[in-house]
Amino acid sequence: MDLAFTPDELAFREQIRAWVRDNLPKEISDKVRNSIHLTRDDQQRWAKILGKQGWLGWAWPKEFGGPGWNAIQKHLFEEETALAGAPRVIPFGPVMVAPVIMAFGTPEQQKRFLPGIASGEVWWSQGYSEPGSGSDLASLKTKAERRGDKYIVNGQKTWTTLGQYGDWIFCLVRTSSEGKPQTGISFLLIDMKSPGITVRPIITMEGAHEVNEVWFDNVEVPADQLIGEENKGWTYAKHLLAHERTNIADVNRAKRELERVKRIAQAEGVYDDGRFRDQIALLEVDVVALEMMVLRVLSAEKSGKQSLDVAGLLKIRGSEIQQRYSELMMLAAGPAAVPLDREAIEAGWQPDQPAGAFVAPLASTYFNMRKTTIYGGSNEVQRNIVAQTVLG
Amino acid sequence: MDFDFSDDQEMLRDTVRRWVERGYDFERRRAVVKGGGFSREAWQEIADLGICGLQVPEAQGGLGLGPVDAMVVLEELGRGLVLEPYAAVALVATSLLKSGHAAAGEPRLQHIAEGKEIVVLAHEERQSRYRLAHVETTAHGSGHAWRLSGRKIAVPAGGAANAFIVSARVGGAVDDAAGIGLFLVSPGQPGVEVRSYPTQDGASGADLVMKEAGAIELVAPGGAFAALELAADTGIAALCAEAVGAMDKLVTITVEYMNTRKQFGVAIASFQALRHRIADVKMQLELARSMSYYATLKLGEEPAPRRRALAQAKVQLGNSMRFVGQQCIQLHGGIGVTDEYAASHYFKRLTVIEMTFGDTLFQIGEVSRRMQTTAGVFA
Repeated sequence: MDLAFTPDELAFREQIRAWVRDNLPKEISDKVRNSIHLTRDDQQRWAKILGKQGWLGWAWPKEFGGPGWNAIQKHLFEEETALAGAPRVIPFGPVMVAPVIMAFGTPEQQKRFLPGIASGEVWWSQGYSEPGSGSDLASLKTKAERRGDKYIVNGQKTWTTLGQYGDWIFCLVRTSSEGKPQTGISFLLIDMKSPGITVRPIITMEGAHEVNEVWFDNVEVPADQLIGEENKGWTYAKHLLAHERTNIADVNRAKRELERVKRIAQAEGVYDDGRFRDQIALLEVDVVALEMMVLRVLSAEKSGKQSLDVAGLLKIRGSEIQQRYSELMMLAAGPAAVPLDREAIEAGWQPDQPAGAFVAPLASTYFNMRKTTIYGGSNEVQRNIVAQTVLG
Repeated sequence: MDFDFSDDQEMLRDTVRRWVERGYDFERRRAVVKGGGFSREAWQEIADLGICGLQVPEAQGGLGLGPVDAMVVLEELGRGLVLEPYAAVALVATSLLKSGHAAAGEPRLQHIAEGKEIVVLAHEERQSRYRLAHVETTAHGSGHAWRLSGRKIAVPAGGAANAFIVSARVGGAVDDAAGIGLFLVSPGQPGVEVRSYPTQDGASGADLVMKEAGAIELVAPGGAFAALELAADTGIAALCAEAVGAMDKLVTITVEYMNTRKQFGVAIASFQALRHRIADVKMQLELARSMSYYATLKLGEEPAPRRRALAQAKVQLGNSMRFVGQQCIQLHGGIGVTDEYAASHYFKRLTVIEMTFGDTLFQIGEVSRRMQTTAGVFA
């Protein structure tokens, strides 16, 4: 048992750190560090920088053009980029759909779709949730009917994150109503420019346009865009979830944001208030404990000796911590967090504020973070899963 | 980075686990509690396992092993709620004896390794509230002739001890760390009174009352506080591991109960309110286990980062122990509050662990005071 990284791992970390220092645009990291809205161009710019280096698909094996890193190396990459203030890579392409295409797609599909994902050229969205299918995802109703060499898709997806930017969308669709709900689902890749697709914004409580409804009205999808076999889509979706690993806890971002909590608390003069400071101390303990749990999972993956079934725990804890740091930042600013100053939020600057504390977006971020315990399988669903592993 | 145990450590675990399961079952433990919370025979059996000298240097007949080995042993002792003061002697006192003058420390280390002697730290006072530097007990003298006066409380297995390591003030104000020395005091001499009592967890504790008691110096002022802090942190890591073992077993007992106890015609494990509760319990257990590893693996760091890490670990453990303990009692219902059933004994031990070497509030203060700009496992 040893907490230290090996010299090779440390050298790897240095290499990543130096590359990020030289390649992450400061305008972008400044925005990330202050919760300023990232435009599509900002996101694409960073994605393409990573893509050019071959690291947008940082978890990809070599045979598909990835770096072929092990679990520790992937973690170190995630940590170095997060701590440097890089945007979180939009996961739908490189993290979510790509592994499914690699595992279950045909060689033609792999050749057709993977390069655009790896380079950052093509923006992917996720079409899972529906108005009637939240945590009970398998009840989804969006229908795909086979007609000749096409599927005709009708229905509605929702909560489609950044779907307004999407070039392509991967969808779970119903191709059969026989048997259990899970057995009639297929996995389709759909060009969002197809006639019959309408994207409508959903404005969330902080006033942001982050999620969307996506409507399908007799959308024609070539049958060669079906992944794997018809009615096996649920299996592929589960494979995707298994790929979510430790990154779901987002502990590296939590470390960065904890630094920011301290910075804001100092600027606002509450860092030396024992009652407030103890709350930060408790969050610090939570973050260290989460990081240790993540490291245990990585070590188990690396050695293959022990199996750790804690993915549900990582999601629950990681999301709770995200909510907590956003809450503490807002509370540190106190009354200064109350004005809704959209101009300042967009500009990333506001007058009459102490150095180090850009407080305009703090309440918005707090409101936005309520999503984290709901999405990706609500924390209550995660507790069901954890209980299943504990109680049998 | 690697969290696997070596083959030797797995063997050590098996050895201790086998003894706990076969030699220290719940009925025997009950008898030890009735007998005052300490059993000479059980101590001898632990000594026969060859682990009393776990961290005693090989030159003094010990095994010279490290913190991870200690963690393995303590997890298993915790699983069986073993009452005998293994960590207090083999880890905490051993750490202090290794820090002290060779002439004073080495013979004792040898005796500990042989299982012949019980040496324990007596540092807590009625007013100290976990602050190691807050010492009212006084020492005066020089060279080998020292006299100590004062009262120490909550001394583990004090009634069975062959010697005490006592923190006492040589100079300075009541909370001046630089004015503390560490001394060896033997019981059974004029001016030393050991008042034994049972503790809430069924073990044996004692107050040590000294009036001009004869003592020899173990660590002189200047080095004593650092040695004391290291010993306390060693104790915290041991308590964390013990607590993980105890919680792990308590959760196992609770899960079995939930799967067999029927109400409204079904196993209570089928009720979602209880399923979510056990998921939360599992969360706290795994966070605690993670931080127990952290505590053990940070013991070798420099004093400042070590103290920060051990305080963080004790905060996590404190919160986890209270949640796991309270909820596992609640999940049992009525049977959980009885003396007859094992769960309540786990709960009581977890409660006492929180109040040893700094409770959660105290350690939050430590973490808070010691925070830096950056945070994380490697900060």
